[in-house]
Amino acid sequence: MEHITDQVLDPELLKRETENPTCGALIVFEGTVRNHHRGREVERMEYTAYKPLAERVLQELEEETKRRFGVVECRIVHRIGELAIGEASVVIVVRSAHRGDAFDAAEWAIDTLKQRVPIWKNDFYADGTRAYQDGVPLSACGSDEHDSASPRSSRDTQSGNSLHNQE
Amino acid sequence: MRIEFYGVLQEAAGSEAIELPIDTPSRVAHILEELGEQIPALQSHLPRIACAVGDEVIPRSEMVSGDAPLILLPPVSGG
Repeated sequence: MEHITDQVLDPELLKRETENPTCGALIVFEGTVRNHHRGREVERMEYTAYKPLAERVLQELEEETKRRFGVVECRIVHRIGELAIGEASVVIVVRSAHRGDAFDAAEWAIDTLKQRVPIWKNDFYADGTRAYQDGVPLSACGSDEHDSASPRSSRDTQSGNSLHNQE
Repeated sequence: MRIEFYGVLQEAAGSEAIELPIDTPSRVAHILEELGEQIPALQSHLPRIACAVGDEVIPRSEMVSGDAPLILLPPVSGG
């Protein structure tokens, strides 16, 4: 199943794919492109990925999320290409028997995605310039001390987000 | 051997990929040193990059054969 796409993301499709009668909680997380970054006006954003690795890491992230939190379903799809303000760049769908696990799992999944998946944001600013956002070094090979690297939060660089709980 | 760049590294290198004249097999760390000498604009990025072959991230101590491109990945910013 594809985890990286240049097509508009469809949360409804992911919800249908993950329908499960044992689940009483559904979390849909969408990361959306916002119109500012560190005080500068952003007009649009371009996402690029190294697909061979990104696909595998997202597949593993879905499985790890299910295992860690005991949630029944987890689907993650990330968009690449040029996105307009307000468009969804990533959708994460988690279903579990109870809401607590689903909330925790979805939050962990997006936090971890930001640290592990080879995807890059290039901001196009209103003044006509553009710049790649600085990111998180992939800890597995940033240096030979990789095993001691601790994940750091990147919430401050995150796109605008929306979180819906349907239980 | 073929070296491919992603994200900000494409801007720094001025291209998406280059052919680096280097004997293979060769250690990743050695390839990066050569690369930094060939393209000084990459120097400041090298300490924070990850390297991959195919869908595997590999340590700098690894020997690569050059059969497949060496992929250079800058710090990530998805989401």
